Amino acid sequence: MPVFKFPFHGYSVKFSPFIETRLAVATAQNFGIIGNGRQLVLDLTPGGMVSPVGFDTSDSAYDCAWSESNENLLASATGDGSIKLWDVASSSLLVNLHEHTREAHSIDWNPTRKDSFLSASWDDTLKLWAEGRMQSIRTFREHSYCVYSAAWNPRHPDVFASASGDCTMRVWDVREPNSTMIIPAHEGEILTCDWNKYNDCVIASGAVDNSIKVWDVRSYRAPIAVLMGHRYAVRRVKFSPHSEGMIASCSYDMTVCAWEYRAEDALVARYDHHTEFALGVDMSVLVEGLLASTSWDQAVYVWQHGTDPRAS
Amino acid sequence: MERCCELHPWLGDRDRLNELPDVAVVGPHAPDIRGHDPLSSLPGEYDHEQIQYPDNQGSEFLRKFHSGGHEGFEVAWNEAQQPHMPPNFQQRDNPSLFSTFDQIYDGVNAPVSRWEGPPQNILSGFLHQFVHSNQAGIPFCPATLPVMGLSQRDKHCIRDRSSIMARHFFADKSDDYINAQVNALLHSLEIDNDLQARGPPHRRFPELKQYWNESQGAAKFEAPHAEDRWVAEYDQFRPAEGPESWANSFEQQYGVDSWASQFEQEQSQVSSLGRMTGRNISNIAAMEQTRMLAETLAQNEDPKFQNSKFLQFVSKMSRGELIVDNNQVKPAVPSQSSGWVEEFDQQHNNNINSWADQFAGELPHTENAWIREFANEQQQRGNTEDQWVNEFSKLHLQDWGDEFHDQMSKGAFGDGPTDHWADEYDKFLEESLGPVQKPSGSSSGIYVFASQNPYVGHPNPLKEGQELFRNGLLSEAVLALEAEVLKNPDNAEGWRLLGIANAENDDDQQAIASMIRARDADPTNLEVLLALGVSHTNELEQAAALKYLRGWLQHHSKYGTLIPPGEPDVLVHADVAGYFNEAARMAPEDADVHIVLGVLYNLSREFDKAIASFQKALKLKPHDYSLWNKLGATQANSVQSADAIYAYQQALDLKPNYVRAWANMGISFANQGLYDKSISYYVRALSMNPKAENAWQYLRISLGCASRYDMLNACDTRNLDALQKEFPL
Repeated sequence: MPVFKFPFHGYSVKFSPFIETRLAVATAQNFGIIGNGRQLVLDLTPGGMVSPVGFDTSDSAYDCAWSESNENLLASATGDGSIKLWDVASSSLLVNLHEHTREAHSIDWNPTRKDSFLSASWDDTLKLWAEGRMQSIRTFREHSYCVYSAAWNPRHPDVFASASGDCTMRVWDVREPNSTMIIPAHEGEILTCDWNKYNDCVIASGAVDNSIKVWDVRSYRAPIAVLMGHRYAVRRVKFSPHSEGMIASCSYDMTVCAWEYRAEDALVARYDHHTEFALGVDMSVLVEGLLASTSWDQAVYVWQHGTDPRAS
Repeated sequence: MERCCELHPWLGDRDRLNELPDVAVVGPHAPDIRGHDPLSSLPGEYDHEQIQYPDNQGSEFLRKFHSGGHEGFEVAWNEAQQPHMPPNFQQRDNPSLFSTFDQIYDGVNAPVSRWEGPPQNILSGFLHQFVHSNQAGIPFCPATLPVMGLSQRDKHCIRDRSSIMARHFFADKSDDYINAQVNALLHSLEIDNDLQARGPPHRRFPELKQYWNESQGAAKFEAPHAEDRWVAEYDQFRPAEGPESWANSFEQQYGVDSWASQFEQEQSQVSSLGRMTGRNISNIAAMEQTRMLAETLAQNEDPKFQNSKFLQFVSKMSRGELIVDNNQVKPAVPSQSSGWVEEFDQQHNNNINSWADQFAGELPHTENAWIREFANEQQQRGNTEDQWVNEFSKLHLQDWGDEFHDQMSKGAFGDGPTDHWADEYDKFLEESLGPVQKPSGSSSGIYVFASQNPYVGHPNPLKEGQELFRNGLLSEAVLALEAEVLKNPDNAEGWRLLGIANAENDDDQQAIASMIRARDADPTNLEVLLALGVSHTNELEQAAALKYLRGWLQHHSKYGTLIPPGEPDVLVHADVAGYFNEAARMAPEDADVHIVLGVLYNLSREFDKAIASFQKALKLKPHDYSLWNKLGATQANSVQSADAIYAYQQALDLKPNYVRAWANMGISFANQGLYDKSISYYVRALSMNPKAENAWQYLRISLGCASRYDMLNACDTRNLDALQKEFPL
């Protein structure tokens, strides 16, 4: 399957929910420590991957999300705290939403209420946004350190989760004034979280303690699974849209792993095609088993689960 | 202004400007990149840069990122697209740097200077080294770099991001190590790692502390709702709050001991490591670092990590095959250069098996158990999937989506309806919060009395309570003191002691509530103000804590004059700390002032200073067990678990029935991965107070981590006899 190289360091990759051959990659210069960013749009073609459109940003692009309502709408979270909405069809910046006072690190489009999305920032807050509005609807302030990740519940349009460096994962309902659940999920900073797409009570978290934990929010005193296998901090976890128990993860140990969290031997596959920290992983909603990953090795790979990403 | 702009045609362009292939190529020794503005001729560009970077220098610098070294962005882009590129390192931002490495490995003798070229290139390469220094857990070597011309904004950006990111990719290292790494980077770039830097997150305990207290507060707040099963259930099972809950008494106990100097010595060693700078590292230290680096490298089994050219470079350097001479890297004895390859292979081969074995050994063995358990639970729960979400939504707001769609269907799209939607939301929030009066922090401030109290009707419950407290029967003391304040609600002393007893009994919410009542009864009681300051610090409620600590100084007969008259609208931490530092200068022998300073520095997460303050106070009050506990908790917070254990031991020597300190010891051991050891301490704490729900939870975790599954049943059935027999201290 194809590989695509770019001059910056890869931070995030997302499959389009509308076009099965399209994906977006957020990249940053100098590992995202200083410099510019570039939001790439890539198309899979028989001859390999091509980039029909790219958007340059004045600061690192840390994360991106496709709109769930418009196939040409793409959002980027960038290092200066701004959220940028791009029109892929006209290759233009539609809106620049600049409210976060620190790095915007994560963005997630609401899959059920398709006109809204969330951003998470190193200013310790999350913000709820809606299409067509120039200001955020709400700011969620509770975390006491950087918020690294935000994820909408796949079934409940008001419910989302956040993962923070304050060692807690929180579950929120936008109708409520405060978070509705605080899970001290790990002993170290929590870098990522994602909901199960089949069971809306199940959520996974990944942290600098190298572990992935799977939780049932109805009884979250203890995780229902602890997935050990990564050797450095877990940067991103993602539940499969096609297989209830499958989780994909990527880590500072440079590998991408696939898990079946309910199985005794949970680690299903370990992909070691990246040569630097692996920061982005995604699974296609439209093509079952299609995986994509990106890394600081300046490449994005797309491959079918069970095959070697490097095999062309 | 930026956020309101709609479809400004130039917005996209503005973002792109930084990326344009630069017309001016900056030479290796550009005399002054600051005054140079090659893009100023582009219409409107200057203004936009102004918007982005108030400090124009920054934009200058960033704009040149591509100009130096690369032919421009497009070239770099095309290079990256070339097929048949070697898999790694060829398409770096800094080809010159890595070609240097390649030359060295290929045995090219010509000495190559490393840190030359356009500043942007050097910075890229330097950051590259920093990032990769994690791969073998090696200290990153500071270097003397040419003047970069970084603006303040750039510097802050590098400082903050490298601090935060280093904690992700160096997650397996200690804080001291991480700080040294970051400092080495920052000092090489001449960036001051001052107090404004985004520090590490405070670790587990304060978070848990806040979390438990919040959830406790939430449980009270929401108690009337019958459907709040999960809250109640959760509350019932809540494990321990953090160990550092040190809203304790401040008895006057004086004396001097010799431990403190020893402590300070250790302390200064630790902090000097943290303050390591590029400037004061001698060559010897650099060699030592390189040696350590190579050792760690040898221990890292992953072949991929060992293949990193940077690590090979470092390994070579540590064996003297490469030397740094006048900032140039030179092969010292070229003929030896093949040796490292064999050595690498050897290490590599030796380690493959052990790595696999180790990995197999690390796989969790408990998965079967929980899967079965989970499956059972699933069956029992049946069709309750939606329940938890409904339970969340106790306020029963009309669904915000329905409302939005209603408005959508009315035909209008644009700012109108969505504004309305947001307004509705604000209104709802106001309405729903209005009547219940949003609590300012997590502390509700309402004291909850026990429903049944045998001491009600006791002739002198205060005296009884004091007696029970002295004997360490905290729960009983709380009941007696509750009886006292029920009888005499204006007794400040009764409320104060009740607050202290509650704090020592692991209940800071109740402690704060009692202390607030004590303050109402006697607004100038110094001990009460101090205790409130400490409790709010535990709760991470900075504003409230500062208010009480300032109040303490204000009402103090000796220091009252230090506080300027009038109530400031906003209390700034630095101001309050300033007052107390002034007070400490006035009266260096006043332990209380040092204690408050320690508390203040905990609030600002300056743990080194906090530890120093507590140590000063301990010199004056060496027999204050709660002070030892504070010191221990602070050291635990700054990830010095070994020191914390010493401090807790001191507290226990002074007060052997200090249950919390026993549990804290266990936590500190567990924190260091010494789970076996932690078990005995938890068991000891539990044998003294079997009601310590938290300690049971911690014990269960440690049993699991120490693979003592055979004793889990004893833990679950609360079989203390069996546990004590199995885990004697």
